[in-house]
Amino acid sequence: MKPLLLTLNKPPVSPVDLSPLIPDLLAGMKVAHINKIKLAHGKNSLRVEKLFSVTGENTDNIKIRRSCNKLLYIGKGMSHGHIEVSGDVGDFAGQHMQGGVLRIHGNAGSWVGSGMADGVIEIHGNVADCTGAGLPGDAHGMSNGVVYISGNAGDRVGDRMRRGIIIICGNAGDYCGSRMQAGTLVVLQRTGEYPGISMKRGTIVLAKKPSHMAATFMSCGELKMQYLRLLFKQLSEIGKTYAFLKNYAAAAHRFAGDLASNGKGEILILLQTPRKG
Amino acid sequence: MKATRIVITAMSLKWAHRAANSIRGFASSVIACGCEADIEGELKPSETPDGRPGIAVMIFAMSTKDLEKQVPMRVGQSVMTTATTACYAGIYADEKISLGKNLRFFGDGHQIAKVINGNRYWRIPVMHGEFICEETTGVTKAIGGGNFMVLAKTSRHALAACEKAIGEIQKVPNVITAFPGGIVGSGSKVGSKYKFIKASTNEAFCPTLKGQVKSELSPEIGSVLEIVIDGLDEGAIKEAMRVGIKAACSYGPRKGIYRISAGNYGGHLGKYHFHLHEILK
Repeated sequence: MKPLLLTLNKPPVSPVDLSPLIPDLLAGMKVAHINKIKLAHGKNSLRVEKLFSVTGENTDNIKIRRSCNKLLYIGKGMSHGHIEVSGDVGDFAGQHMQGGVLRIHGNAGSWVGSGMADGVIEIHGNVADCTGAGLPGDAHGMSNGVVYISGNAGDRVGDRMRRGIIIICGNAGDYCGSRMQAGTLVVLQRTGEYPGISMKRGTIVLAKKPSHMAATFMSCGELKMQYLRLLFKQLSEIGKTYAFLKNYAAAAHRFAGDLASNGKGEILILLQTPRKG
Repeated sequence: MKATRIVITAMSLKWAHRAANSIRGFASSVIACGCEADIEGELKPSETPDGRPGIAVMIFAMSTKDLEKQVPMRVGQSVMTTATTACYAGIYADEKISLGKNLRFFGDGHQIAKVINGNRYWRIPVMHGEFICEETTGVTKAIGGGNFMVLAKTSRHALAACEKAIGEIQKVPNVITAFPGGIVGSGSKVGSKYKFIKASTNEAFCPTLKGQVKSELSPEIGSVLEIVIDGLDEGAIKEAMRVGIKAACSYGPRKGIYRISAGNYGGHLGKYHFHLHEILK
């Protein structure tokens, strides 16, 4: 079966909510039916056919072509299947995801994977702020799953995350892993100020020493961390995209904190990084 | 029977072996030890969860409840106490028993849970660094007690043949031979004249009683050794018995190996019967 292909005809003027276009909600629908689906567009709505040229039939494998940053909530709440996007996407990509794979070949806006419960989000580009974080009012951020970002991330990545893994191959902004409740956050290039501020539990793995760290993180010394060996080996086995992680060594400088909060979190600053990350 | 497999890794294979040898100690028979355990095989770094050399150990017991009792206790006392080790599940199934689930309390509040690729691990801070243990391991149905006996001229002849047989059996996946060295020197029958004993010596195969009891041994036989095989399925046990018997028989009568037999205990012990002639077809 051919994948369901949605090609954007023309970038919309105002943001469009694409959350109805997930495998769960499109199951069993024909193209004619999909064309009639209404999408929220500012305070109005517009039909899919006005925005996209739709072909194909496999609703478990959706491809969105010529995407732009006005398309919001892509993959919101999906529990299975694949969505692959070519081009930039707007905010809230993969919000509340429960399973499946969302792959974006472009840049993404803020709140990627916010409140996600499972699944994999791969962004082959940069992301804005609050990746994997919880919205104000939410009990916590992402509670499971994997978010992979090949480029850079903005501020407050993993804010209040509860479980799951975020891997950032580029730089991360300020307050990375702030208020973390648990989970693992890996940054393979530079990090901004105050990583892990107010974290209660969880692990932040940094390939480079951050520009500034809070005084409430205490050094536990330079150690061979058995956990890092397990983490890198297991992550490298997810797929080809992650295979490079097996080149990272387990030696790290461990900082425990944030002692101003629960103090059971940790920042592991890698002592050796491979030449090519 | 029920069985599980665990994977023990360490900084070197030597230390993984030390932990594995410790956990399989006093685990020759479910009758008195609570479980039967043995090393299934060595694992390359590429085959283990953390990329270090490892050992796969299989543990068999009469019920999941017995495994739940034996496995965490043995991992806690034998694996966690061995320097540089970590312990992971070797079977993933719907039915599970705890591995690190209870051991984590050794961390006294400093333990950390981590979920990677859907598997939950416990990081327990210990004096060598961290002891990493998967939260649970899977349990599967299994078969215990597949056996054959090597009837030989002397114990020296029997031992040489059995050692060769064990060497071949160890190459078969999904089986273990839980007795020391894989060989039973004192095979038993079910029951005893004494009511308080569940199993007693198999006098029909004791060479010193040949003239005293209804013996299964002919005059030239001076020693009998038994090989007992536990496996995850019937096919694995049959294959292990086949290669083991062939290896033992390769010595032949000229080297003191006269007969191969098996204990079937009147066909009343367990629902699986392994008929030697069928296995060797």
